[in-house]
Amino acid sequence: MKIATPFGRSLALLAPVATVFAGFAQPAQAEWTGGDGQPTAPLACDGSPAEVAAVAYNGGAVANEGAKAGQPLKVVDVPKLIGIGYFDSTSKGVLKAAAELPDVTAITDGPTQANIDEQITLIDNYNPSGIDGILFSANDPVAIAPVLRKALAAGINVVGYDSDAEPDARQWFVNPSEFNGVAKSLIDELAADIGKDGSFAIVTSTFTTPNQARWIAEMEAYQQACYPEMTWLETVEAQEDNILSFNQATTLINKYGEELDGIVGMTSVATPAAAEAVTQAGLCGETAVIGLATPNAMKPYVASDCVRAAVLWDTTAMGYAAMQALHAAANGTLKAGDTSFAAGALGTLQILNGSQILLGAPTVFTKENITNYDF
Amino acid sequence: MTSQILPARANPPAAAPLRRFFSEYGHECVVALAILVLLVGVGLYNPRFISARNLGSIFSGNAYVAIAAIGMTILIVMRQIDLSVGALIGVLATISGSIAVSGAPIWLAWLAPVLCGMAINAVSGLLVAYAGIPAIVVTLGMMAVLQGGLISVTGGAWISNLPADFLLAKMAVFGLPMPLVWAIVLTIAAGLWLRLTPYGRSFYLIGGNAEAARAVGLPVRRRIVMAFVIHGAFAGLATLMFATQLQVIQSTTPPNLELLVITASVIGGVSILGGTGTVFGSSLAAVLFAAIGSALIFVNVSAYWQRAFIGALILLTVGADMLRRRRAASAGGK
Repeated sequence: MKIATPFGRSLALLAPVATVFAGFAQPAQAEWTGGDGQPTAPLACDGSPAEVAAVAYNGGAVANEGAKAGQPLKVVDVPKLIGIGYFDSTSKGVLKAAAELPDVTAITDGPTQANIDEQITLIDNYNPSGIDGILFSANDPVAIAPVLRKALAAGINVVGYDSDAEPDARQWFVNPSEFNGVAKSLIDELAADIGKDGSFAIVTSTFTTPNQARWIAEMEAYQQACYPEMTWLETVEAQEDNILSFNQATTLINKYGEELDGIVGMTSVATPAAAEAVTQAGLCGETAVIGLATPNAMKPYVASDCVRAAVLWDTTAMGYAAMQALHAAANGTLKAGDTSFAAGALGTLQILNGSQILLGAPTVFTKENITNYDF
Repeated sequence: MTSQILPARANPPAAAPLRRFFSEYGHECVVALAILVLLVGVGLYNPRFISARNLGSIFSGNAYVAIAAIGMTILIVMRQIDLSVGALIGVLATISGSIAVSGAPIWLAWLAPVLCGMAINAVSGLLVAYAGIPAIVVTLGMMAVLQGGLISVTGGAWISNLPADFLLAKMAVFGLPMPLVWAIVLTIAAGLWLRLTPYGRSFYLIGGNAEAARAVGLPVRRRIVMAFVIHGAFAGLATLMFATQLQVIQSTTPPNLELLVITASVIGGVSILGGTGTVFGSSLAAVLFAAIGSALIFVNVSAYWQRAFIGALILLTVGADMLRRRRAASAGGK
C-alpha cells in the first residue's frame, strides 16, 4: 500500500493524456479554417474595383446632439488592450489629432489583456466621470454595445476604430481597410512567395476575435476563387502572446516539414513570432512568412531577407482619423448622410456602409519602403 | 489497508533501493510516464512529432516555466504561494531589455532581473513573515502593483532592436539549446540542495509542521523570507530564458503565466498543503504541458483544449492529494 499510494494518486494524471488520443479516433473532419462562416464578398482576382452601393446612415444617435459644438472635449481612447505595438501606434495617432485640434484632451486607457469584461468595466467607470467622447476598438462587437449605448444616451460622442461594435452603439467607425481588400492583399502576397500551388498554414489570435475571423473567411473565399490550387493546411490559435505564437509556428514547421511553404500571421504579434520561428528553424527562403504586422517588428526579418513583405494599414493614421471623426461629430461637421469626411492631414476619406469611414487600401511593407514607417 | 497491518512481504534485498525510489519518486515517475506515453502515442500517429527538432521545441519551449516552477515549488512546500510571478517576469523582462538596449554591458542586463527579482520578492516575503499577511493577499496586491506599474512606465511600447549578444536563449551549449541546459542544471542543483543539505530540508520541515520546526529552533520567519527571495532569483533566471527567446519584449505581462507555473508545481506532485513535493516533478510537469500543447497541433485539436487538460490535471492531482492525506490521517499515519 505504501508503494501503491503514490502511483494510485498519480495514475489519474494519465487520464487527460489519454483524452488527447481520443482525437485520433475521429476521422479528420473538414478542416477548421478560423473563418466566421458569414457571407463573403471576394474581390476580383485582377483587382478591378467592386461596385459600392449607397447605404443610409445606420450609426447610433447621441443625446443632446450639438450641445458640445465649440466646447472643450475630454476624450478617452479604449483600445482592445494596451501594451502591444499595434495599439501603441493607434494611440500615437489619437494624441497627434488631439494636439492639432483646438481644446481637445485625450488619454488612452485600456485593459492589459484583450478581455471584453475588463473593457466593459473600464468604459462603465469612465461613463459618469465627465468625459465628452469615447474612442474604442471592441474586443467583442455585441458584448460592448450596451455600455456604449449608455454613453450615447448620456450625451457622450462615441467613435470606433479597428474593431467595430454593433452599428447603433456608436456614431462612426473608422474602418482601417475593407476585409476583402486585406484578404486579397494577404493571399496575393502569399502567392507571390509560395506560388499558385503552395501549401500554407495560418496563425491567428482566438476563435472569437471578429476581425481575424472575418479576414480568414474572406481569404478562404478569395483563395478558392483565384488560387484554387493552393492548399490550406490548417489554422492554429495563439492569442496575442509572443511566446505562444512562436511555439505554435514552430510546431507547424515541425509537423509539416517541407510540405509547409508559407505561414500567414493574422495578428501583429503572430507574424513576427512566425518569422522568428522560421529564422530559428533555419528555413528562411524555404518557408515564407506573410502577415499583418507593424513595420518596426518586421524590420529585422525584412532586413535579413527572411520575410519579403508584411501587410498593414497605417495604424497611426487610423487613430488620427478616429479622433478627427469624434471631434467633427461633436461639432456637427460630420453628420448622418455624409458620403465623405475631411480628416485633417489625411485629406478626404470615403464613407461606406452607412457609417464607416474607410481609411484606404492596406499598405504592403517591403524592403523598399519599410524604413519610411516608424510604428 | 490490510497491507499496513500485515508484515511487509520479504523482498530480495536488491529490490529494496528500487522500491524505495518508486515510493519516494512515484509521482515524478508517473509524470515522466505520461510524457513518454504521449511521445510514443503521438509519435506513432505522426513520426515527425518525435523528430529531433520537435523534441527540441518541446523540451526547451517551456524551460522558463520549469525554471520559475523551481522557486514556486520551494514556496509551496513552505505553504506559501506567489500569484505575482507572471507579472514579475513581465517586469523583469522589461528591466532586462531596457538595460540591454541602453548600451550598458550585457552582463548587467542579465544580472539585473535576478537581483531585482530577489529584491521585489524580499518585500513580499517580509510582509508575509513579519506583518503576518497571508501570501495570497500580499502577492495578489504585488501582482496588481507590478502589472499597473509596468504599463504606466512603458506606456505600452515594445522593446525591439535587442542586441544579438543579449539573446541568451538562442545560444547553445554543446549543441543543446540554452533553455534546456539551464532547466536541467537548475532543476538538478535545486533538487539536490533541497534534499541533501540541512538548510534545504528545513523548508520541508517548516512546511510540514511549522510549530514543530519552531520548537526545534528553526528560524521560521527568516526561512519564509528566504524562500521568497530564492523564488525571486529563479523568477529572474526564468526571465532570462523568457525575454531572450525572441527579438522583441512585449510590455504586457505574459497572460496566465502565474497559473502555469503554480500548476506545474502542483501537477509535479507538490502538495498545496505544504511539506512535500520535488522540483524534479515540477520540471517534468512543465515538459508535459509543452508536449500536450504540441500534441494538440499534431492531432488537429484546438489549442484551447490545452487549458482544459491542464485544468483537469490540477483537479485530479489536488483531489488525489487530499484523498491520500485523509486516508493517511484515518490510518493514523503521518
